[in-house]
Amino acid sequence: MAKRVDERGVPVPPDDGARDPVVSVRMLTKRYGELVAVDDLTFSLHSGTVTGFLGPNGAGKTTTLRLLLGLAEPTAGEALVFGRRYLELDDPARRVGAVLESSDFHPGRSGRDHLLALAMAADIPSSRVEELLALVEIETAADRRVKTYSLGMRQRLGLAGALLGDPELLVLDEPANGLDPAGVHWLRRFLRRFAEEGRTVLVSSHMLAEASQTVDEVVIIDRGRLIANGRLEEITEGGRTLEDVFLGLTGGAS
Amino acid sequence: MRALLRAELLKQRSTRTAIALFAAMLGLVLLAVLLHGFGLPAEDLGSTDVQLMVFGRGEFLAVLFAALLGAMSITTEIRHGTIRSTFLVTPRRGRVVAAKVSVSILLGTGFGLAAGAVAAAAGAAALRARGIDVQLDQNDHVLMIVGSAAAAALWAAIGVGVGALVRNQVPTLIGICAWLLFVEGLLAGDITGGLGDIGRLLPGAAAAAISGQDPETLLAPAVGLALLASYAAATALAGALATSRRDVG
Repeated sequence: MAKRVDERGVPVPPDDGARDPVVSVRMLTKRYGELVAVDDLTFSLHSGTVTGFLGPNGAGKTTTLRLLLGLAEPTAGEALVFGRRYLELDDPARRVGAVLESSDFHPGRSGRDHLLALAMAADIPSSRVEELLALVEIETAADRRVKTYSLGMRQRLGLAGALLGDPELLVLDEPANGLDPAGVHWLRRFLRRFAEEGRTVLVSSHMLAEASQTVDEVVIIDRGRLIANGRLEEITEGGRTLEDVFLGLTGGAS
Repeated sequence: MRALLRAELLKQRSTRTAIALFAAMLGLVLLAVLLHGFGLPAEDLGSTDVQLMVFGRGEFLAVLFAALLGAMSITTEIRHGTIRSTFLVTPRRGRVVAAKVSVSILLGTGFGLAAGAVAAAAGAAALRARGIDVQLDQNDHVLMIVGSAAAAALWAAIGVGVGALVRNQVPTLIGICAWLLFVEGLLAGDITGGLGDIGRLLPGAAAAAISGQDPETLLAPAVGLALLASYAAATALAGALATSRRDVG
């Protein structure tokens, strides 16, 4: 098999043939009437990396993630996880974990019951819920209703929900929003460890400086279009920051 | 599917919504039946039809609250965003709606049994206190209570379907209340005399028919049951299809 390169000439890590890319987005387009939220987007992710999915607010990051996770249908193109549409995965919770919003809880339900209901639906034993409550350090608040939780606790509860099935791919939309410095540090270490186990993280952010401390690879989009994709050190070579790169590519450096 | 049913049951048990609706329903049943039982003139209350109407407040309130419970099982998830994690775990969204319909039918049955029984007990107590004989026999009572259970169960399924179609919680709940408390009465009332027999084919009237109320005007209980079951199946199916096809917000 010939060595593969992507559209910018960057070599793509060799695929052993049996394994599909963890995420494969090809010519993905989503229109809402006149608005083109995602415009002919193509990129892929391979295992063992933390990829930053970067761009300003409204760039189409969340829409892309929703398309990837089967919550919305593409207008054209495809978004595959492990070579399949999300809807076709046999046991999605054990392959993919995702947090799209930090506030997706019933305020009157306890953290433990929130996780138990998800675990039941996915046929995951309740002992796993206890493990995760300990992992994200909210055991002592587990029986309190979520409305009493701080934003940081909600973020961690959401992460626990995503991790219930011990997934191979973790998708997080703006996970650092509202976290205090200790929380950001905790999350960064967690994501690094997760990737070191050979698993994959796709994490969106509009905060380029913060993202550059965590990610190996970046996919940068603006107005629904891909503007850069590659390893962080290649994108930022010559001492440029991600912000410089981004403003240069979008012509926003006035 | 069993896993999904257990998950949906836990969702119902783990917030105060279901128990609060149940308590509010029973309180209103007592209020309605006792107000009628003590408020209506004794000569009116002696007739079987009026007694059926008074005891039938249980059926009506069970239908209303079961429909709200069914609707909230899905609109609450949409409102608070938990629908996203629900669909991430179960991407075949039609199955989620089916599980919600099943659990709502189960809880709606409980609402109907409780409301029917409390209405019968409170109605009988009020009549006895005023020295009026209860004209309803055992069959009437069984039909009243079992019919209330069936009517509330089916309306719970209608609630899930309407909630899945409308999605936004407040318009869904207002719509259900407006239909049952107002619109259906208007359509079936004297003003629309031209509608004639159509009034008894409406879903609220079909629900009342199942519990044996107003046999002169309404359908026979078995016919009402078949008709309401058709409404419930159609609404739930439409809700499941819409949920499968539309993007999730």
